[in-house]
Amino acid sequence: MSSTAQELSPDFDPITIEIIQSSLSAITDEMFATMRRTAMSSIIYEVLDFGVALFNDRGELASSGSGIPGFIGMLEPGVAAIKKKFNAADIHDGDIFMLNIPHHGGVSHINDVVMILPVFAHGSLIGWLANKAHWVDLGGAFPGGISPDATEVYQEGLQLPGIKVIDRGEVNQAVLDIILMNSRVPETTKGDFWAGVASMRAGQKRFLSLVEKYGEAAVRHAMTDYIALGEKIARAAMTDLPKGTFEAEETLEDGRVIKAAITITDDAFTVDLRGNPDQSKTSLNSSRDATFVDCQMIFKAITSPETFGNAGSFRPIELLTDEGSIFDAKYPAAMSIYYETSMLLFDLLWKALAPAMPNRLTAGHYASICGTFMGGPHPETGHVHGIVEPQLGGWGASQEHDGINALYTGYHGDTFNVPVEVTEQRNGLMVDRLALNDAPGGEGERIGGKGILLDYRILAEDWWLTMAYTRTETGPWGLEGGLEGSTNFVEVVKANGETTRHAACTAIPLGVNDVVKVYTATGGGYGDPKKRARERVLEDIKNGYVSKERAKEIYGVDV
Amino acid sequence: MVKIRAASDVGGTFTDLVYFNIDEQTGEVRSVEAEKAHTTPPNFEKGVADAFSKAGVSLADVEFFAHGTTVVINALTERKGVKTGLITTQGFRDILEIARGNRPDFFNLKYQKPEPFIPRYLRREIAGRMNYKGEVVKPLDLSGIDPILEDFRNEGVETIAVCLLHSYANPIHEIEIAEHIREIWPEVSVVASHEISREWREYERTNTAAVCAYVQPTTEQYLGKLETRLEENAFKGVFYVMQSNGGIDTVTATKRTPISIVESGPASGVLGAAALGEALGMKNLIAFDIGGTTAKCSLIDNGEVAVTSQYMIERSEKSAGYPIMTPVVDIVEIGNGGGSIGWVDEHGKMHVGPQSAGAAPGPVAYGKGGVEPTTTDANLMLRRINPHYFIGGEIEADMAAVEAAFAKLGARLGLSAQEAARGVIRIANNNMTNALKLVSINRGYDPRDFTMVAFGGGGAMHATALAAELNIPKVIIPAHSAVFSAWGMLMSDLRRDYIRTQPCLFVPSTAQAVSDTFKEMEREAIAAYEAEGIARERVRLERALSMRYQGQEHSVRVPVAEGGLTEAGVAAVIEDFKAAYEREYTYRLDNAIEVVNFSIVAYAAVDRPALAVIDEGPDADAALKGSRRVDFDRDGVLDAAIYDRSRLGRGAAISGPAIIEEAGSTTVVFPGQRVTVDDYGNLHVEI
Repeated sequence: MSSTAQELSPDFDPITIEIIQSSLSAITDEMFATMRRTAMSSIIYEVLDFGVALFNDRGELASSGSGIPGFIGMLEPGVAAIKKKFNAADIHDGDIFMLNIPHHGGVSHINDVVMILPVFAHGSLIGWLANKAHWVDLGGAFPGGISPDATEVYQEGLQLPGIKVIDRGEVNQAVLDIILMNSRVPETTKGDFWAGVASMRAGQKRFLSLVEKYGEAAVRHAMTDYIALGEKIARAAMTDLPKGTFEAEETLEDGRVIKAAITITDDAFTVDLRGNPDQSKTSLNSSRDATFVDCQMIFKAITSPETFGNAGSFRPIELLTDEGSIFDAKYPAAMSIYYETSMLLFDLLWKALAPAMPNRLTAGHYASICGTFMGGPHPETGHVHGIVEPQLGGWGASQEHDGINALYTGYHGDTFNVPVEVTEQRNGLMVDRLALNDAPGGEGERIGGKGILLDYRILAEDWWLTMAYTRTETGPWGLEGGLEGSTNFVEVVKANGETTRHAACTAIPLGVNDVVKVYTATGGGYGDPKKRARERVLEDIKNGYVSKERAKEIYGVDV
Repeated sequence: MVKIRAASDVGGTFTDLVYFNIDEQTGEVRSVEAEKAHTTPPNFEKGVADAFSKAGVSLADVEFFAHGTTVVINALTERKGVKTGLITTQGFRDILEIARGNRPDFFNLKYQKPEPFIPRYLRREIAGRMNYKGEVVKPLDLSGIDPILEDFRNEGVETIAVCLLHSYANPIHEIEIAEHIREIWPEVSVVASHEISREWREYERTNTAAVCAYVQPTTEQYLGKLETRLEENAFKGVFYVMQSNGGIDTVTATKRTPISIVESGPASGVLGAAALGEALGMKNLIAFDIGGTTAKCSLIDNGEVAVTSQYMIERSEKSAGYPIMTPVVDIVEIGNGGGSIGWVDEHGKMHVGPQSAGAAPGPVAYGKGGVEPTTTDANLMLRRINPHYFIGGEIEADMAAVEAAFAKLGARLGLSAQEAARGVIRIANNNMTNALKLVSINRGYDPRDFTMVAFGGGGAMHATALAAELNIPKVIIPAHSAVFSAWGMLMSDLRRDYIRTQPCLFVPSTAQAVSDTFKEMEREAIAAYEAEGIARERVRLERALSMRYQGQEHSVRVPVAEGGLTEAGVAAVIEDFKAAYEREYTYRLDNAIEVVNFSIVAYAAVDRPALAVIDEGPDADAALKGSRRVDFDRDGVLDAAIYDRSRLGRGAAISGPAIIEEAGSTTVVFPGQRVTVDDYGNLHVEI
């Protein structure tokens, strides 16, 4: 049994191409699995705040492995940034590059560290591998690097401007030492660095064995063909979309208004974000690359959510922005909370399209990452721990179904929350409650899904809390007469009973028996509540999802 | 005088019975026989009894009976368990519904989350709290329980799951609640989470207790009926149930926490491979099973069957599924079997599976109306399967229909019928290769160090090509490969897995505490066996630790020697951990190391028969049936010698290209490959 490249005809048989293409996803799957198993921090292995990707020699995305849709399209500009900065002659087999500056491409905030490895077969560049993960701490003014109070990127952590950290297989120890010295959690950082390397090296080995088996020409052709297939699928799906211009706007909690206009024609999906507010003085800004990812996600959701995504899948997208606006912020704008800005935009695009595409889109969901950052000494060991956690929330109802309870945002995917039993042991705090939030709101013929109530009790002195949520004043939007959902926020109940409510805060001090109470929103409802079937309302009452009083008021169901 | 050891496996259509006739003098297996009867839902025990009577076996002669059943998985997937209530820690009744919040189908904004097995109004809370060290932070308040039970009675609840936070560290509150319920409401079934799992992660453990309670009454009833049926027919032997962990266990233990048999069937084939390897002196094996709709594989490292407690049901790219924390043989399964359909999508890409032609209409060659070509049809098209000896000659394959089906498939890609059939085989083989890589290369194992044991109806047909692809040097096609899973059950020992989460730093100063935990777990395991009349001498214990670098989540399993752990022993375990970690993840760290889980596997030996030696027959020509043109894909279309496996004696040798036919299976020997027949009738193919 032998299979050699020579037997292949110049135009390659379709079976071989199919096998190579399925092997490309097997490679990124393996890179993903390796990263997940070796990473040191829960934000990577549990929350899956990371992604891996494989590119052709031109740096076009051929295959990606991710638990999060928001990372699929993010790495392509990273490879482009390296290709732009380095001459081809300075890129060698065995090199690994690192970058994390959002304004330079390929990243969304300083904590997202990208590693890039060029793959060479018989001396010539055949592709690229990349890996991006959220690193817990890279220094900066605030623990964890993230704060709504940051005004410049310099405050958000150490900047890595596309540097070669491994040169022909040799680690640049000086660079690694600087990175580790700047991190508040050097051990974790070191582990996550090597996890990234292990993941890409595993991918490289598999990539090269594919080349070995089928030949360089066939692998190159299979990647090009796969990207072309991605484009073909996207364009075919566009013929079924309603055509026209779809608009939405939203008033932010600080009074600014954001807006979007999406124009769908037979061959283009144009997102016009011109005329949006100037970039913020705070860290609630996003880069053009992050904004483009929002467009990719909503486009994929309405065209072909069931298939793979690669460079071709997103070719019909055109994006118009004003340079220096919150959706296209310029250096040195702070961006650590970019994810809330991106989330606002994703929700806005979703809101613009949902009324026209009820087969693909629900009413509004809780639409905030609800990033919750806490830290302090473990009461047993004194070891200082940092928690970086997005929170679960309620999803909107749709024409067929009630909204989903307690799910991560549309920006997330196969992301897992951290079990209470694990967090208590690891971080040395106590969780008093994790329950569905029965706050009123989101009623309709189909009801919005519920958010959560999560109460963290602090068990040691010298802890701190940083957070910045959105949708803290206005709940998720309903559709077709469904009611607006409830809101996201945090309450801090001090040991003496003093209670404060927060939409955002930076490093507020916490001590023994202070309780941080997280509330996340109910999603928007769908359809007139009066049309909800009586037996469903009775079931909701029995399950405690709605009170008898509220049922009478909203649904007109009297028990 | 002959004694009988029998195993039955209840499938969707047929109930298989395999039995050994054992020579009482020599203890050797005199013959291996198989019989099948129709499965008879909902009274599955009838099908089992039917198979015995059809085989003419008197249950009075059966000294050992092992049973594999899908009763648990069926009750789960068909949602045919009973009404279940949950009692949990105050503040946490919604854990079962919140789950882990993940959405694997991540481009889809209309994702549907799996519904909890217990609705909110039947999930109730009780005051009392442990911390992660197993210390009582707030005492248990049993006063709240009676009103809950009253509500449960009124709602018609038949079974109750109890799962409290940190019960893996200290189960005393769960025990108190379960005892209280059993005392005041003895008719209701109760399952407490610690009886199944002592591992952390509250959603997974709660769901495990919930689904176990949900299926408990149904399973207990079924096993009870089967026991009665056996006794009525004068059965006086011992009755065991095949477990998901690759061992067997008593009916009494199974009735208590039946979730342990959720993967009763698939595990036994892997165990069979391990048992065969033991008999042949081979310790590194890859078990590979191709059935009608799926292919399954599992790696056996140094004689140890890999077992995981991170088992999921209904998990897919579209759904988060449900976790079940019970030890299950770690099997990778893909939707590619003999009945898997080859098809071309709207974008001109060819795929094989996961849709299957099933038993009806079956492959096109059956002539029962199937029009979509399957993997089996492709093997016929390439003449690897003999059209005139299809399913042991039961059916004359409808080759005109098969050729037409491939011509149609090929036309969509500009390929001939023959090329399309090769394409189906190549794609199916590639899918299977990827599955085999997942259990080997991706976990740091080099396939060159392994022997593949291939079984099931299609195992022998594809194994030799896959082994060549992966550089696996040898494939064994066992005697009776078509009923190998049932054979595995007959070679099984009792096995119980005890896993306990007890995180601690692993340093010389904790060695004593580590030893003490192992000793306590071992005492528990031995006591449980002794309570069922199984003597200490029969029990063999294996220890292992799940370890990781401090701060990581995922751990590596490291075997630990018996006895007290010395300081030198600690250093050796650390080195073993680092080596195992490096093999899997390619690097070492200087970071501190911690233990997460302690695990004990407690085997109780069962007398196993010796394998019977077959007649000598070094001349393979005696089994030659003729020759035909066979398509070996890239090796060309060649004249292949065709052999009748039943006539091959020990010592026979065959060189490829060749085909070895038997009633339930066909072995494809590629040019350059060489086959020898061992003393027991197994085929050894050198790749």
